[in-house]
Amino acid sequence: MDNTDRNLIDAHCQGSKTAFAELVRRYGEGLFGYLIRMSGNRDQAEDLVQETFKRVHEKAHTFRGTQLKSWLFTIATRVAIDSLRKRKHLRLVSLNQQADCSDEACEQLETLAVADNSCEPSQEVVLNEQKEQVRQAIESLPARQRATLVLAYYQELSYREVAEVLGCSVGTVKAQMSRALRTLAQKLPDIAGDIK
Amino acid sequence: MNRHLTEKELIEYQFELVSDSRAKKAAEHLKECSLCREHLQQLNRKFASLDLLSEKITVSNEWLAKVAEQTSQPVQRRIIPFRKSAWLSAAAAVLVMGALFLLVDNLSKREAKKPEFAKEHPSLLAPNGARRDTGQESRPVAGDIKLEEKAKVPAADALGKIAAETEAFVFALPQEKARVAKGLKMIEGGGVVEGEIPEQPPFAPASAIELVTLPRRENVQLTIYNSADLTLVRERRNLTLKKGWNWLQFMWANTLIDPTSLVLEPLEQKDKVRIEQLVFPARLRELGRWLIRSEISGQVPFEITYFTSGLAWRAFYMGTLAKDEKTMRLEGYVRVDNNSGDDYENAQTRVIVGQVHLLDQIAELARRQYPYDRPILEGLGEPGGTPGGDVLGVLAPTEAPAAVVLDEALELAPKEIKKEGLSEYFLYTIEGTETIPDKWGKRLLSFETDDIPVKSLYKYDEERWGTETIRFVAFTNDEKRNLGQTPIPDGDVKIYSQADDLGYLSYVGGTGIKYIPVNEEVELNLGSARLVTVEPKLMDFKTENYLFDSKGNISGWDEVQTWQIEVTNTRILPIEIEITRGFGTAYWQMKFDEKDISYEKYDVTHARFKLHLEPRSKRTYEYTVRTYQGEREQALTELMRKGVTK
Repeated sequence: MDNTDRNLIDAHCQGSKTAFAELVRRYGEGLFGYLIRMSGNRDQAEDLVQETFKRVHEKAHTFRGTQLKSWLFTIATRVAIDSLRKRKHLRLVSLNQQADCSDEACEQLETLAVADNSCEPSQEVVLNEQKEQVRQAIESLPARQRATLVLAYYQELSYREVAEVLGCSVGTVKAQMSRALRTLAQKLPDIAGDIK
Repeated sequence: MNRHLTEKELIEYQFELVSDSRAKKAAEHLKECSLCREHLQQLNRKFASLDLLSEKITVSNEWLAKVAEQTSQPVQRRIIPFRKSAWLSAAAAVLVMGALFLLVDNLSKREAKKPEFAKEHPSLLAPNGARRDTGQESRPVAGDIKLEEKAKVPAADALGKIAAETEAFVFALPQEKARVAKGLKMIEGGGVVEGEIPEQPPFAPASAIELVTLPRRENVQLTIYNSADLTLVRERRNLTLKKGWNWLQFMWANTLIDPTSLVLEPLEQKDKVRIEQLVFPARLRELGRWLIRSEISGQVPFEITYFTSGLAWRAFYMGTLAKDEKTMRLEGYVRVDNNSGDDYENAQTRVIVGQVHLLDQIAELARRQYPYDRPILEGLGEPGGTPGGDVLGVLAPTEAPAAVVLDEALELAPKEIKKEGLSEYFLYTIEGTETIPDKWGKRLLSFETDDIPVKSLYKYDEERWGTETIRFVAFTNDEKRNLGQTPIPDGDVKIYSQADDLGYLSYVGGTGIKYIPVNEEVELNLGSARLVTVEPKLMDFKTENYLFDSKGNISGWDEVQTWQIEVTNTRILPIEIEITRGFGTAYWQMKFDEKDISYEKYDVTHARFKLHLEPRSKRTYEYTVRTYQGEREQALTELMRKGVTK
């Protein structure tokens, strides 16, 4: 564990607001990326980030582990899965899907649109369709498999770290990942390119 | 490896999900197998599409600062949204609330006992609460106090633990600590900060766990208006309130309760407990929440009144004629059927006779999705009064029934029905209480009267019943006949007669009766009587006294008919029989000479003979009737004017 992470937690437990703000600044973006892919909705992801940090704030004194990042993702996963259970009809939307247009999302959209200027309009349509297919494929996964995939693939956590986050063995994580990928193999579009 | 790799093996190889040895074998196979390589490339192209959603996600520092600010607020009450579908959570909440209620109740009872005990036995307690050794007599009571202390320990420990945990968060921040402590008080005191009740009521309960659970009914009274599928339910429940604002949730799912008629009233501590409003939360169907402002903590009895439909009653009767058929034993019953969707335990049941005018059908109101458009009016639901009556245009009972104390020993005894007059209505209160579960019916004895004098009467009237003789049993609803205290409601009646000395009954007949007012005679039509027959025979017919007009046409004449009536009684009892004969005209004249048969002009076109026949006897009599046709009608009028005939 980062010495500074431990120090931040200790300082926060002693009532330092600055320490907690630093924790949020350090991990907020990563958690937001994770939760937006889990929830598929930017507004909801914002709420989930808040709920995650609220729990972190309340339970900070119980943190005894060594991996603060894993602990944060564990809490975020619980928050996300709870939320998924409550909202059974979740949509995992692309970050630049036009329907979801909060201020920041719109700003990002504009940026991406500029970046994609090189694309022909027809290519853009195809790309959007493919994104929609990917989104739907991920959305169809069960919550635990979705969490495994997002953590391992998009958040680039090792399988050991994913196991720590999800509170299970590495073998279980691999099995979940395998199931998730086999499901996706049936649903993902066939495009040219190399896998990550 | 002699076979091709499966898709699973390829995926697990590509994503490093297999052991090194298996990965090595797969790699070797791929090196040699172009088909598997192609399959893997195809999979890779698919998984490459995952990268379409891997854009870098950024958030602003301002937003992160805002998150940090908002989430680092002091510990507040956790909001648990109440979800109707989460029945499991609801059940758990009910269990928790029930356990808390029992604990609080237990503690409060013991709290109440302690001062009394201390007052009565001051020497038993040391100043610090320790028990002095005062011998054997004091042991049971001292044991109670110990129990009380034991009971308090877990709760105190739990609170202490919560406080300790909370303080851990705010160890270094005195201001934060003060705020957290205040928050805890709010939780403990039900929204009360240092003994004061906030003036502004809460907008809505923050969560379902803050609701006061509706406890079991202490008692319930049903007043069933049969004519309108309307029942007034008045139930008493003891609610445990906390000082401050309380939310009470009332659910009527799967029942036929009219939510617009709901009224809640405290029966005690009215100056300290106020019902502020009844709200119907959005998205939550079939439930309402009352906001109650209480200046006290503890148990307060409340009365909840509302209308429901689905409860119905009907009266029916059983009459048993004595062997001589001069008296009858009459038993009245009320059957109450409950299809309201709710069970009513130990309910005092009252039934109303009379028509009720409703503006709305209660069942329709109950089935409506949201009960927003019919507000509860002020001033309804006064204890002892009739809530909702004016809203629904109901003329309802204005007096509470006399309190009926249920004697356990008499539970199995027949219930008496007490009757009270209510203007145009009549109220019958069934003695004691009855449990009427949903979908069940229950028959209750209404009254039981012996030796009611009755008239057994046979009637013959071709125009009404053809050639059959009809049997009637008649009695009067008056005090002379051991009845007459109240009207008798509509209902079916079945009449039996004693068939032999052993008390066996034979069914005589049945009919429906209409509402019988006091002092009114009622005749029960028991159907055709085969043992009593009437045979009219036309013995002679002639016409005479013709009148002619100026053209020589017949303008008037008399018809003279002679009828022989043969009445046969094959019963072993003497009978009375009424024979009604119709003539089809108002201009008729009767010649009848039998002295022992009474005869009367029943109405303008009918005559009625009354006979008494001995058992197993036959009686024949004759009468001659002259009817005046055409202009001969004037002749009869002249005769009547002169008083020659009646």
